[in-house]
Amino acid sequence: MVQILNRPEKDIVWVVGLGFQEKNSIWFYKKNRQVSTVVGIIKTFFAMNDFTLTTYLTSNIDANKNVIEPLISHCKVKHFKKSEFLLRQGEKCKYSFFVEKGLLRQYSIDEKGKEHVILFAPEGWFMSDRDSVYFDQPSSYFIQAMEDTDLLFITDELIFQLAKEYPSFLEFNNRLLHNHIRQLQKRITQLLSATAEERYLDFIKIYPDLMLRVSQIQIASYLGITPESLSRVRKELAVKNQP
Amino acid sequence: MTTRQVEQVINPAGKHFVGDGFLVHNIIPGSQGLSMQRVSPFIMLDYNAPHYFPPSATPRGVGVHPHRGFETVTIAYKGKVEHHDSSGGGGVIGEGDVQWMTAASGVLHKEFHEKEWSKKGGDFQMVQLWVNLPAKDKMSKPKYQALTNAQFGKYSLPNDSGVIEVIAGSYKEVTGPASTFTPLHLLNARLNRGAKAEFSFPANYNTALLVLEGNITVNGKTLVPANNFALFKNEGETFSIEANENSIVLLLSGEPINEPIAHHGPFVMNTKQEILEAFDDFNKGKFGYLED
Repeated sequence: MVQILNRPEKDIVWVVGLGFQEKNSIWFYKKNRQVSTVVGIIKTFFAMNDFTLTTYLTSNIDANKNVIEPLISHCKVKHFKKSEFLLRQGEKCKYSFFVEKGLLRQYSIDEKGKEHVILFAPEGWFMSDRDSVYFDQPSSYFIQAMEDTDLLFITDELIFQLAKEYPSFLEFNNRLLHNHIRQLQKRITQLLSATAEERYLDFIKIYPDLMLRVSQIQIASYLGITPESLSRVRKELAVKNQP
Repeated sequence: MTTRQVEQVINPAGKHFVGDGFLVHNIIPGSQGLSMQRVSPFIMLDYNAPHYFPPSATPRGVGVHPHRGFETVTIAYKGKVEHHDSSGGGGVIGEGDVQWMTAASGVLHKEFHEKEWSKKGGDFQMVQLWVNLPAKDKMSKPKYQALTNAQFGKYSLPNDSGVIEVIAGSYKEVTGPASTFTPLHLLNARLNRGAKAEFSFPANYNTALLVLEGNITVNGKTLVPANNFALFKNEGETFSIEANENSIVLLLSGEPINEPIAHHGPFVMNTKQEILEAFDDFNKGKFGYLED
């Protein structure tokens, strides 16, 4: 399907890297690198047409495309077909992945053979197994393409080069990491104490279009509820929200 | 009146499955030169060229999905489709029939091969067309028009050489049963070998045809074989088609809706903001609920 959608405003950029948005606010970085929070805006990035890493970086830090592109050109670019694996449990993960097109899921399989989805990564998201990449451990996870997916393999070398060229990149990357940890904390709280409805409502803010891209079984797995509970929640919301 | 010439003939490229029940060529907007704007108000056309589906106890098809901002028009040439939607509606589209669904503010629906037909299997041939709605009608109430072949307007060509079925709009003095939001004509020309028919639509109306069976010659010079699609130029009004063998041709002509198009998946609106709202409304159940 063709998308005819505009890019977001040039001077306001989305912070989505390493994955996460705030529940009720998004951090905006403006070109002058001032940071501000805008409450109540979850006007997501998914509608952007162009999810290349170059665009992502030039939108988020005060960087020049002509400098960024040669750096990124050293990254491995790869196409994965739907259902293909980027990583299997027990293997060592050597890269972080940036999704330019398509969708990844990261999941584990428990002793009973049940899958547990940890994370989805649609366009503009990063995915990695830090235990493996940064601590040299065999991975506990599978990473699989849920759609035909175009990826960039991110290396430490790239991060180093970007930081060298642009001091602002480090600040940006730092913010992304904090945001990532913050969202992981929220996810723990949710899995420990939130109702199925609360988990679902949070999910659709983070992933506005995934209900149309993956099965409800996958989403239920991510939410830590049964597919039946997800179905019930959606039915109750439909009743509640009838115009 | 001047002659309207063919701009391009498209032999559609690759096919893909929609769900597991529809094996389609996406012709609009997937073909070069057939953007949504170019062929507006016809913003999408999926063509399931004749395909044999073996018998299946579980009907093949496509599960629950939403639509907002336009109309879906399903034209069944071979095979039968059963559909259900979140407003409690449903029915069977039989061979030769048309279902005209105005998704407008939003519906959830699912479409499957009709149960009994699925058990036997058979050749399946179908067109699904999306007709855009003007901004002012995009959030109007959803509705259905189940149009059986018997209801179509019928214009008989001289010497029993064929018939023009009018689904929407008109052909000569004969009008079709579908009500539309903007002026458009949707016709099936069922022509015997050697039959000739003339058509005339305003020059600014985006106009095209799809040959479902047989092969035709347009304006005495452009050959359009089966399963090919022809787009006309927006100059001139009249053109003729001649059947080189028994042929079935779908003709589309409509006044363009000159408004911005924002499109993502099953939503076609005017702005990106409206697309985001569509996702949010869908996620929050505002399209209703439909069991898988």
